[in-house]
Amino acid sequence: MTLRITRFTLLILCFALQPFSIGLAAGEKLMVALLPKSKGNAYFLSCKAGAEKAARELGINLLFDGPVDSNAAKQNEIVENWITLGVDAIAVAAENKEGISTALRKARKQGIQVITYDADALADARSFFVNQATPQGIAHALMDEAARLCQGTGEFAIISASLTAANQREWQKHIELRLAEKYPSMKLVAVRPCDDLKDKAQSEATALMSAHPNLKLLMAICSPGVPGAAEAVKQAGKVGRIKVIGLGLPNENRRYVKEGVTESVILWNTEDLGYLTVQAAVALAEGKLKVGMKRFVAGKLGEFSIEGDNILLGKPFLFNKDNIDRFDF
Amino acid sequence: MKTPDAAGIAPKQMPTPHRASAFWKSVLFRHETLLLAVLIVEWWFFYTYGTTTNRRGVVVGFGTWDRQFDILRHSCEIGLLALALTPIILTGGIDLSVGSLLGLCAVVFGHLSQAAGLSLPVATLLTLGLGALAGGLNAGLITGFRLPPLIVTLGTYSLFRGLAEALTRGAVTYTDFSPSFLFFGQERWLGLPVQAWMFLGVAVMIWFLVHSTTAGRSFRVIGFSPEGARFAGIASNRQLGLVYVLAGIIAALAAMIYTARLGQAKADAGTGYELFAITAVVLGGTSIFGGKGSVTGTLLGVAAIAVLKNGLATLPSVIRMNAAEEMAGLLTGCLLIFVLTATTLSGSVLARVRRWTLRARQTGASLP
Amino acid sequence: MKRYAREISVLGVLLLLLCFLAWRAPDFFQAQPLRSLLTREAPALVVACGMALVIMTRQIDISVGSQFSVCSVVAGLLAAEGFSISVVTMLAVALGSVLGALNGFLVAALGLPSIVVTLGTLVALRQGLNLVRQGEFVNLPDQFQWLGQSQGWGQNALLAVAVLVVVTLSWTLRHVAVGRYVYAVGSDGEAARLSGIRPKRVTFGVFVLLGALTGLAAVMNVVQSPQVQPLSGLGLELKVIAAAVVGGVAISGGRGNLWGVFFGLLLLACVSPAMIHLRIEAYWEKAIQGGIILLAVAAEGLRGRNQA
Repeated sequence: MTLRITRFTLLILCFALQPFSIGLAAGEKLMVALLPKSKGNAYFLSCKAGAEKAARELGINLLFDGPVDSNAAKQNEIVENWITLGVDAIAVAAENKEGISTALRKARKQGIQVITYDADALADARSFFVNQATPQGIAHALMDEAARLCQGTGEFAIISASLTAANQREWQKHIELRLAEKYPSMKLVAVRPCDDLKDKAQSEATALMSAHPNLKLLMAICSPGVPGAAEAVKQAGKVGRIKVIGLGLPNENRRYVKEGVTESVILWNTEDLGYLTVQAAVALAEGKLKVGMKRFVAGKLGEFSIEGDNILLGKPFLFNKDNIDRFDF
Repeated sequence: MKTPDAAGIAPKQMPTPHRASAFWKSVLFRHETLLLAVLIVEWWFFYTYGTTTNRRGVVVGFGTWDRQFDILRHSCEIGLLALALTPIILTGGIDLSVGSLLGLCAVVFGHLSQAAGLSLPVATLLTLGLGALAGGLNAGLITGFRLPPLIVTLGTYSLFRGLAEALTRGAVTYTDFSPSFLFFGQERWLGLPVQAWMFLGVAVMIWFLVHSTTAGRSFRVIGFSPEGARFAGIASNRQLGLVYVLAGIIAALAAMIYTARLGQAKADAGTGYELFAITAVVLGGTSIFGGKGSVTGTLLGVAAIAVLKNGLATLPSVIRMNAAEEMAGLLTGCLLIFVLTATTLSGSVLARVRRWTLRARQTGASLP
Repeated sequence: MKRYAREISVLGVLLLLLCFLAWRAPDFFQAQPLRSLLTREAPALVVACGMALVIMTRQIDISVGSQFSVCSVVAGLLAAEGFSISVVTMLAVALGSVLGALNGFLVAALGLPSIVVTLGTLVALRQGLNLVRQGEFVNLPDQFQWLGQSQGWGQNALLAVAVLVVVTLSWTLRHVAVGRYVYAVGSDGEAARLSGIRPKRVTFGVFVLLGALTGLAAVMNVVQSPQVQPLSGLGLELKVIAAAVVGGVAISGGRGNLWGVFFGLLLLACVSPAMIHLRIEAYWEKAIQGGIILLAVAAEGLRGRNQA
């Protein structure tokens, strides 16, 4: 609490003392800018933690800014800001492929190195994509886990962030494909948006459970949705009868996983994603990372393999009761 | 929402510059002057502290032409909505649905020009028609049923966004627009971003409509006193219909510029734009109760917000805090309340000073 | 009877919807989910009552969503620091009152238009909160949920608080002089002033009350789950204004009552679960809600025309 207040006061002070501070570019340090889809989201906050670690190790300036809500138009404005600031490299998690690519091409034309992470832009708008897991990989992991918990049969429902978010649509599409192809006796009964609000996810989950008495599983594919759904199941007294899984961070779900409400949470190591992204961006700006390389050594994390222009982070990870205490992000 | 007890709004007076000093006083205490001063201070501040030289020795930041053009480019859509709202607010009305309508028009335009394969001019005309129709729906409910605009447009705010989502099932994003269309949002023409020319055109048109036509005069009369307008023989319903339909058309135009700038049309286009547009209009000195305001003020209001928002993003300390957008929101909110308080207070102070001088002159005259 | 035609018609539509649900989706009527639904909507009801009073005085406050978020986060942080529930509640209500008083001062004392003032505070509070918290969740201590009691007890307590607020305010509006002042100021401020009421004080008072109720509602929401999301309350202003309007509070002031607001909120709150039960896809939700609001105002307009 006091920390927050100090931080706030500092910020106001910084603003007031603006005339006395020197320019960003005064040092000879490299400047890398990291753009999340939405910056308040715990997912990207933990990417940022990893990115900051890499920035400290490499001794560079790191910028981290993005829209508060996932908003494609604002992402473009921020990238254009950075272009006029003349940063050295930009790393982007694209809300919308085509939308962001115009701004990224402009950045490349001005000699700024561009990579993407988390969600790709068009291939000609960036040099590399740090691929944490393909939409397919995520969707398959989720659907396979759901089928395992339901023994391959029964009804389930999805809680998504919004009806318009691009990544949500992509995951949902691959979940449905996997469902049709491998689990014919499972049935997706409803998809409900929660607007990235935990409270709304809880209300939606409550209504879903009463409307579908045979529901066996709730799958939340946005991070605020998982604790919301879990709380609803807990309050309905249906722990064990209705299982909860989803995409989310260990810290937000720890208590529900331990209580046995949430069966498992799927995610890759987001801190590593941020770390790897910054390492790759710096290597690219310094000319150490080039197209055609097969391996990339990222500081303390060691070696990662490159397939084409994708730097691969690894497979999605499944957090459950047994391993969740080993992670803190 | 005409409150009799909102006496803080200074009584409207016809500008009667009998004497040079009175003229200067009226210029000096005008809302637009205050706003222009704010704008100049903002611009100077960001120009001084937001411009730096980067590692490669290139001048970057606020004080570059690129940045200035970006500001222009980014503020066109909200600026258009603000222009559309100015006549509406002059009549004492409001339209909360313009942002949602932008979203609806964007996806309909995307559908017509991509999925339905219509040619660009046809799709454009149909989209503008849809905007007019939606504006007509607002106008019909407001004039036909005598309903408060706030509530009608609150309803259509949900309705238009809902239709946009329902039409695309939330999922469809229209992309792959032809370069000849993207030209309108991403290129420059005669030195300025293309959409800036369109914005300019609409601004001149609205300025002309509001300030030098009888229709414009009647907007103010309706806003100042709807009863009075009736007695003066103004066809209020027709005038109200005109402003809302016009707003619909302009929102449709903004939708196409938005689509061209981003190269994509999706159901969430323009979410929250109505708030920024209303803020800009009110910041520009147009009274939310109607009857008073100017298009020049609106343009200054849009500029003040846009410069603040884009300028903050070039300040090193704000960049280091990664908080440009939040700072901009916080300061815009405070600026809105500050400017409003300042003009209201200065208005009442001015009135008091005028009373005093009048009294002094009268007593002075009565003395031998 | 005719006086309450508007409230009765809302109740009628609500009953119609419930009958339709009873026919097509009897599953809707299960004790536990219904109680859960009501508890989830209880905070919104408390805010809606305050909003109704503000609208009755011919003002509006669109900053309640941001106030709600600020109060929720502060209440959560205080709870995490180990303050007891009663202290947290009092401080949250006090904070809400201060935020309401700020709006009230600008509107009543300086005579600024309420929609613009609260537009300013809406943006400033929301972005200020984002600036300080960056969207991070607040984790609450275990004993905080359901006021440290069992879930059923907690839900009943919250419902009781909400009903108490509605009954008290409704009674005050009808039978106490201060309550009548609200209608008087909303109908004709100048006439009210001439008859000895101080319209500015009444206006200031309703804003403070709305702020206090928002603080209370924030606590009522916080105790329902073990985590606070700073985004909670986003869009609350539209929901409660819509509830008030659908419930028959006239936006032009001086008319309406809290039972109407209660039914209006229930009607809007039932839309989303009803759609799930009727197996209607989520894409239509916003359009349906907008349609209900438009129908309600059109009904209001028709009524006005017939009377004229």
